[in-house]
Amino acid sequence: MTPAYQLSDIQVRFDSRDVLNIPSLSLSLNQSTALLGENGAGKSTLMNCLAFVQAPDQGQITLLQETIGSKLTAAQRRRIGYVTQQPYMLSGTVRDNLKLALRLQQIPRTRHDELIEKTLALVNLMPQADQDAATLSGGELKRAAIARAIVYEPDILLLDEPFSHLDQRHIRQLETSIREFAAQDGKTVIFSTHDRLQAMAIADNSINLVNGRVTSAPLLNLYHGRCQQQLFNTGHLLIHIGEVNADARHIAIDPRQIIVSDQPLHHTSMLNSFAGRLTQIAEENAQVRLMIDCGEPFYAVITPTSLHNLALQLGDTVWVNFKASAVSVF
Amino acid sequence: MDYFADSFAAAFALILQLDPEIMRIVFTSVFISLSASVIAALLAVPAGVVMALNRFKGKAVIQHLLNTLMAMPTVVIGLLLYGLFSRAGPLGEWGLLYTPTAIIIAQAILIFPIMMNLTVTAVNAADPRLIPTLRSLGARTLPMMLQVIRTTRFAILAGVITGFGRAIGEVGAAMMLGGNIEGFTRTMTTAIALETSKGEFELGLALGMLLLLIAFLLNFLLSILNKAKS
Repeated sequence: MTPAYQLSDIQVRFDSRDVLNIPSLSLSLNQSTALLGENGAGKSTLMNCLAFVQAPDQGQITLLQETIGSKLTAAQRRRIGYVTQQPYMLSGTVRDNLKLALRLQQIPRTRHDELIEKTLALVNLMPQADQDAATLSGGELKRAAIARAIVYEPDILLLDEPFSHLDQRHIRQLETSIREFAAQDGKTVIFSTHDRLQAMAIADNSINLVNGRVTSAPLLNLYHGRCQQQLFNTGHLLIHIGEVNADARHIAIDPRQIIVSDQPLHHTSMLNSFAGRLTQIAEENAQVRLMIDCGEPFYAVITPTSLHNLALQLGDTVWVNFKASAVSVF
Repeated sequence: MDYFADSFAAAFALILQLDPEIMRIVFTSVFISLSASVIAALLAVPAGVVMALNRFKGKAVIQHLLNTLMAMPTVVIGLLLYGLFSRAGPLGEWGLLYTPTAIIIAQAILIFPIMMNLTVTAVNAADPRLIPTLRSLGARTLPMMLQVIRTTRFAILAGVITGFGRAIGEVGAAMMLGGNIEGFTRTMTTAIALETSKGEFELGLALGMLLLLIAFLLNFLLSILNKAKS
């Protein structure tokens, strides 16, 4: 299958520190992909590179199987719509902003009105069409910026943290707009977020970024620290690890690999066992997510039956158990 | 004291009577400086935008040079152009010496660095998201420049007005290259210098007050622009 993007040997440095270091990455065409990562993981830098508003210090990006030189051609530029984390609207109304995008993308004038009406309807912004862009609310501004990015009918829509600083109502409206765009034929959506649940709600697949590197490790139960032989020191806990990598600065533990018990487990092959206080119980996709504070917060996923059998309540002391081999070190 | 007060009264009277000589001098002055400002702005604003939008070798050197040229004494420009335009000079054949054109050229050169520098500052002070946004929307070089100018127009216009203020208030180049010819190259500043030396204090004072009025109006305009900008 043709990838939307193919990245090879991408490096972006800032102050001699690697902000982005991706030896190889392929992003699927006609699908929604979420870039997951904490603040500072390099999500915005990667988005800027994918939008070709920032050139990597090293490496090559292939867009729809075309290798991109120093600049995009007008036709290539038209295939990408990009919405930054804090979108900037130019002076004038929402309609003025959309018109400007069409003019800059050299779309024939005869199509302007039709495209603007269609796009405003798609993002549910018809009532704000002639409103000064400077007076839009946070949610409206995000949708106006999306409208401006998709009005010229790009194939790829890039959204950097589209849901940040929005209330639930606006998040739902925005999710609908993104879904409707993605549902059209031949559309690819790539968005960054630090919210795993958000990613699961919209995206077909996700890519995890930690410190500018792509990792297959889940980003829940992510801890920073240093390896000390067979142990990883997070500053609060010493965690047994299976593989030793002296350069590694992170570990992650899949929540499904964690066994929660109401008593210490003896005589098992699980080297890691920590007592902690149950601080959160939440239902998630017909499963139960627990948060247990053991000095570091641990997320664990159990079934509703297990929750019932363990008779857990907030504030209870429970044990978090997992094998050293369940720890991803990177 | 009477002399000073009487002179002020006489100067006021000259202004209120719309004295034809004063009006002619004011018109010449405004025409020359306005022409110089338009020419300088047409060159300096695009040059400033190009410089602000691009990274290139020697940018810092140009920036230092512009800063230095902003403080260039007007008589130095007058002196250099006098050498070029005088009969024996390389451009002597053009016959520009002692014409309004010579003063316009001198004033345009004088205010070009001011306008260019203030344009660079205006673009650099714009929202950092402006350029990436325009780039992501597919703006090529010329549309990008036009949008940047449109967005920063108030700050750029403030720079142009500052340049005009410097041009209309300068005396050195206008005196050396214009020759202070009545009804032709006599500007407000050269007239003030001449009339005062002749003992025509009232006329000089009337022109001085008008010059101050223009400066006041320019500043008023700048404050309106600053409000519009914010």
